[in-house]
Amino acid sequence: MAPEGVHTVKSYEQELSRLRAMMTRMGGIVESQVAQAIAAVTAQDEDAARAAPGQDPQVDALERDVEGLAIRLLALRSPMASDLREIVAALKITGDLERIGDYASSIARRSTRFDLADSRISLSGLTAMGRLVQENLRRAIDAISQQDPERALEVWQSDQGVDEYYTAMFRALVTYMMEDPRNIGPCTHLLFIAKNLERIGDHATNIAERVYYAVTGENLPAYRPRGGLASDAAETSVTR
Amino acid sequence: MHTLLDIALVAGSFVIGWAVRAWRGQKGHEKKFLTTSLVEDGRTVAASPMLPSALVELIPVPIVLLDMEGHLRHVNRTAKGLFGDSINAVVRHPAAQAVLAGLPREMIETTLLELDVPVRRVVRASFRRWEKSMRAVGWDFDGVVMVLADHTEAAVVDRIRTDFVAHASHELRTPLASLTGFIETLQGPAANDPAAQQQFLAIMAGQAARMQRLIDRLLYLSRVQRLEHTRPQQMVSAGDITDRVLEETCVMMRNADASLTVEAPEDDIFFPADEDQIVQVLLNLTENAVKYGGSGVAITLSAQPSKRGGVVFAVVDDGEGIEPDHIPRLTERFYRVEKRGKVSPEGTGLGLSIVKHVVDRHGGRLTIDSAPGRGTRCSVWFPPAA
Repeated sequence: MAPEGVHTVKSYEQELSRLRAMMTRMGGIVESQVAQAIAAVTAQDEDAARAAPGQDPQVDALERDVEGLAIRLLALRSPMASDLREIVAALKITGDLERIGDYASSIARRSTRFDLADSRISLSGLTAMGRLVQENLRRAIDAISQQDPERALEVWQSDQGVDEYYTAMFRALVTYMMEDPRNIGPCTHLLFIAKNLERIGDHATNIAERVYYAVTGENLPAYRPRGGLASDAAETSVTR
Repeated sequence: MHTLLDIALVAGSFVIGWAVRAWRGQKGHEKKFLTTSLVEDGRTVAASPMLPSALVELIPVPIVLLDMEGHLRHVNRTAKGLFGDSINAVVRHPAAQAVLAGLPREMIETTLLELDVPVRRVVRASFRRWEKSMRAVGWDFDGVVMVLADHTEAAVVDRIRTDFVAHASHELRTPLASLTGFIETLQGPAANDPAAQQQFLAIMAGQAARMQRLIDRLLYLSRVQRLEHTRPQQMVSAGDITDRVLEETCVMMRNADASLTVEAPEDDIFFPADEDQIVQVLLNLTENAVKYGGSGVAITLSAQPSKRGGVVFAVVDDGEGIEPDHIPRLTERFYRVEKRGKVSPEGTGLGLSIVKHVVDRHGGRLTIDSAPGRGTRCSVWFPPAA
C-alpha cells in the first residue's frame, strides 16, 4: 500500500478518495434513475415513474457536495498535474451526471401522460435503445470509479449505436403518425423520450471524454464517430 | 435460494467471526494456527498474518471487501466469476449505498438490488462492518464485508414465461390463420381438385414447418434467458468450436450453393464458455450469411486472439450487405429485414436475438459491420477467464 506518488499530506489523499466515492455514489443514483425511467416507459411501471424524480434532490445535494469539496481542494491544496485534471474533470462530470438525472426524471414523468394500451405502436426499438444507453452509462461510470481510459474509449466509440437508434426511432415514429392521426399524441411523447435518451447517451460520452482527459492528459479527437443524422431521416421518411 | 444465502452468511460470518475470535482469543495455539504470528516477550509481532484477501479467496461464495467510503478493496474469485465487471454497479447501487451509509457496528444488514445491464440480475447483498481496532486478521482499515447471493432466477423465470406466451401467441397466429384458411378451402371449394390439393398441401407443410421452427427457436431463447445470469466457467477450445461449426453447416452449404472457409488460429485459444451455445451463435450467424447473402456467397469463419484478451470469432460474407438503418435493430426479437417487399420465409426473426443473449451471458460483445454491396462482417468477442 505504498506506491509512488502517495501524497505526503494524508488528509489530502483522503479528500481525493472521498471525492471519488461521492462521484461513484452519484453515478449509482443516476444509473438507477435511468433504469427506473426506462421501466416506467417500457413496462408502464408507475412506481418507477414516481421513484425516478424522487431521487433528484439527492443528486442535486451530491452535486453541491462534490463542487464544494472540489473547490476546497483547489483552494487549499493547489493540486498539480493529474490531480488537478481529475478535480477539474470531477466538477464537469457532476454537471453531466446531474443533467442525465434530469433527463431520466423527465422521461419518467412523461411516461404517465400517454397510454399505448390500444394502439399498435411497438416499444421494442425504444427498449433496445434504452438498454444500449444504460450499458454506455454503466461503462462511463465504471470509467470514473476506476479511472480507466480504456473503458472511456469504449463508451466514446459506441455512442454511434445510440445515434443510429435515435434515427431509426425517429423514422418509425413519423411513420406511425402518418398512418393514423390518433397516434400523434403518444408518438410525440415517445419522440421526446427518444431524444432524451439520446441526450443521456451524449452526456455519457462527455463523461467518457473527461475521464480520458483526466487520466491520460490527452484529448480525444474533436470529431466523434456519429450515427445517422436525424435531419436525413426526416427527409427520407417525409418524401417517401 | 435461501439456502445459498444462508450458506453464504454462515460461511462468511463463521470464518470471519472465527478469525476475529482467534485473534482476540487468549489461546496461543489457535492464534498461531491462523496467523503464524510470533509472540515474543509478550509482544505480538504480526509476522505474516493470513491476509484477508487470501481468506476470502477460500470461501466459495461471492464476497467483496469494501472500505468505509465504499471503494472496492478486494473481490474474491467466486464474485469475479459470477459477476464479472458488474460488481462495480452492484456496489454503487443506491440500495447498497444506503446500507453502507448507516451500517452500525456488528450488525448484519441485507438488501435486495436489481440491475438491468448487461444482463438483468437480482442480487441479495448482506453487509457486516468491522473496525481496524478489532484487529481482525491483518486488515489495516475500517471496512465492510459484503456477501452476495444471486436471486435472479426466481425473479426472471416469471417474466420469461409471460414473454414466451405473448410472443408465441402473437407470432403463431399468422401461420395458423393461413393453415385454417387452407383447410377450409380443401374441405369446400377444392374438395374435388387434386391438382389444387397438392399445391395447397405443399404450402401448408411449409407453414407447419415454419411454426415448428418458431417454437424451437422460442424455446431455445427462453432457455438461454434462464441461464443468462450464470457466467460459464468451463474452459473450451476455439478450434473445437470452429470444427464443429464446419461439420454442422456442410449440408446447408451444399444445398444453398454457398461456401464456408474456416481460418483457425495457429495456436488454439481457450476461454470460459458454454460450448454448445457458442456453436449455436456461430451457426446462426453463418445461417444468416447464407440466407441473406444471395446465391454463391462466400463465407469466412475465423477465430483470432483479441488484443484485449479473449477470442474474437468473425463471420464475414461477400453478399448483399445490410442498409445502415436496419443494423441497430437487428438483435430485436422478431425484427426482420424486408428485402424489396419480400420477407425471407425461413427467418424467424430470433436468430440474432439468441446470439445477443448468449453473448451477454458470456460478458462478450457483438459487432455488426455492413454496407449495401460490400458484404457483412459479424464479430463476437468473448472475454478471457477472470
